[in-house]
Amino acid sequence: MTAETAPGRPESPAALVRHRGLSVGDPILKWTVRIFSWLALAAVGVMLIDTAGHSVKLLQHTSAWDFLSGTVWQPASTIYGALPFVYGTVVTSIIALIFAVPLSLGAALLVNEYLPAAVGAPVAYAIELLAAVPSVVYGFWGVVVVVPALRPVQEAIASSPLGAIPVFAGPVAGPSYFVAGVVLTIMILPILTSVARDSIRSTPRIQREGAMALGATHWETIRHVVLPFARGGILAGIILGLSRAIGETIAVLFVIGNQPQINASIFSPGYTLPSVIASEFAEANQPFHPEALIGLGVVLFIMSFVVNLAARAIVERFERRAGGADVR
Amino acid sequence: MFAERVLRATGRRRRGMDRAIYALCIVAGALALLPLVLVLAYLLIEGLKGWSLGFLVSPPGGITSKNSGALNAIIGTLEMTGIGLAIAVPIGMAVALYVVEFHEGRAALIVRAAVDLVAGIPSIVIGLFIYSLIVVRMGHYSGIAGSVALALIMLPIIARTSEEMFKIVPRRMREGTMALAMPRWRAIGWVYIPTVAAGIMTGIVLAVSRAVGETAPLLFTSLGSNFVVTDPTRPMSALPLYMFQNALNIGFPAARQRAWAAALTLVAIVLIFNILGRWLGRRTLASGTRT
Repeated sequence: MTAETAPGRPESPAALVRHRGLSVGDPILKWTVRIFSWLALAAVGVMLIDTAGHSVKLLQHTSAWDFLSGTVWQPASTIYGALPFVYGTVVTSIIALIFAVPLSLGAALLVNEYLPAAVGAPVAYAIELLAAVPSVVYGFWGVVVVVPALRPVQEAIASSPLGAIPVFAGPVAGPSYFVAGVVLTIMILPILTSVARDSIRSTPRIQREGAMALGATHWETIRHVVLPFARGGILAGIILGLSRAIGETIAVLFVIGNQPQINASIFSPGYTLPSVIASEFAEANQPFHPEALIGLGVVLFIMSFVVNLAARAIVERFERRAGGADVR
Repeated sequence: MFAERVLRATGRRRRGMDRAIYALCIVAGALALLPLVLVLAYLLIEGLKGWSLGFLVSPPGGITSKNSGALNAIIGTLEMTGIGLAIAVPIGMAVALYVVEFHEGRAALIVRAAVDLVAGIPSIVIGLFIYSLIVVRMGHYSGIAGSVALALIMLPIIARTSEEMFKIVPRRMREGTMALAMPRWRAIGWVYIPTVAAGIMTGIVLAVSRAVGETAPLLFTSLGSNFVVTDPTRPMSALPLYMFQNALNIGFPAARQRAWAAALTLVAIVLIFNILGRWLGRRTLASGTRT
């Protein structure tokens, strides 16, 4: 993206015209910019090294394999296993995606394809405002509103024949992976919707008109022209949403029940990587407890890093192909 | 005859499908809007009960005290966001200039990659990073550490928008400054930045709207405080932290009410900044196409 900005470069002609002596300000500005940039780079580097250093101390106590594959987390008896949190993070994110993907696609299609712009634009704007609400507000609202509202839903499913499947089994406690997934759905809907909208909007008009001229209905046009065209962007949006869901802390902390255990049922309480760090770190006083939590942070960092890389790879492929939507 | 009947039947099926999808999309859109309506309704109904000007200007009291306010949190939020901006704005703009105006090849790409990396880090991990970087070195929690954590949240947003803005400085303008043999610092400071100032402001305002609402990066950097503190070397509260701590004591009616009042204040601030940012952004785009 930087390399293609060549046309605007003031480099060579300016250098011909400019008397070096008249522009003392230039080196000053240049070095200020350089030093600030390098400072930012150095800070990021030192931070990564420091944090890695802290978490490595855990290895004196637990081997990396035992930490990553351990299913028991009992700081009181200094047993640290990361798996319950990795599991919780993965399960809640998957639930969120299952709900958010169809909802955001439907909302994006509604806004772009069906509603007149005068109605669609405010609706899209309102959905995007959802992203601005701080996560602590969602968490508190989740406890007060979503947990009680979903309790009968969870109970109904658990006591129906579906409850025989371990994934939907009772007993229902209230806070659960499922509730956390629903709250996460609300929180990632805006990013999914706006990215999907951008890529749907960039479908070339001529292709649409071609499909319609062949007698396709609106849905057939969407199905065979718009969606194939927008696929890359929609996928990138989904992965960006996934990366938000993985890292979401405070809102999940309120509604997941905070039990470090692995449960097959999505209606049972659990824990996620970010929420356990948030709730235990400040009071961690057992030997190696802070180091173990920082270790969880490193695991979380790596997970979200990989997801972000995947998102970037897809965006780049998509941009090269379509020169289309801006899906940062 | 038969063919016509088949055609008519498939036509009906296709039109039916078309309508069904339309209906499904309407349902999806309504479901997507529902949370916003519900959140705002609860905020207004519950929040206004405990909200008053007194809430904003009184110091905090005990957990059950009815008259305790959020002055500590307001001061903390203002001060930490302010210090955070003082760090993030110059560095963010420097990074943008470094990437767009001083093309230093690989070095610029590395700096930019680092900033992008920060943008992808979950905010709780940013908290852990700053804990390792600052809190451990200082030996205690502090408002400074919180400010740096917020700066790190804002930096990528500011750097990214400024970068996009410097890129859209019209070529004619660049050529104009060259034709006048302007030194680069004059061109940047007197021509480019004023041209795209509104766009850069958009980034700053959106960054603030993001940082003001963040709880996770403050949990073990500024920690929170029950006293009205103005000294940033001590632990400080902030509105989201204040709300978080009150929300955890949901069993106490007074704490619960304070949590709602804090939530209303917080959302009001965040939404105002967010809407302002978007409005500025749209205006920039509009004026950008005119020049």
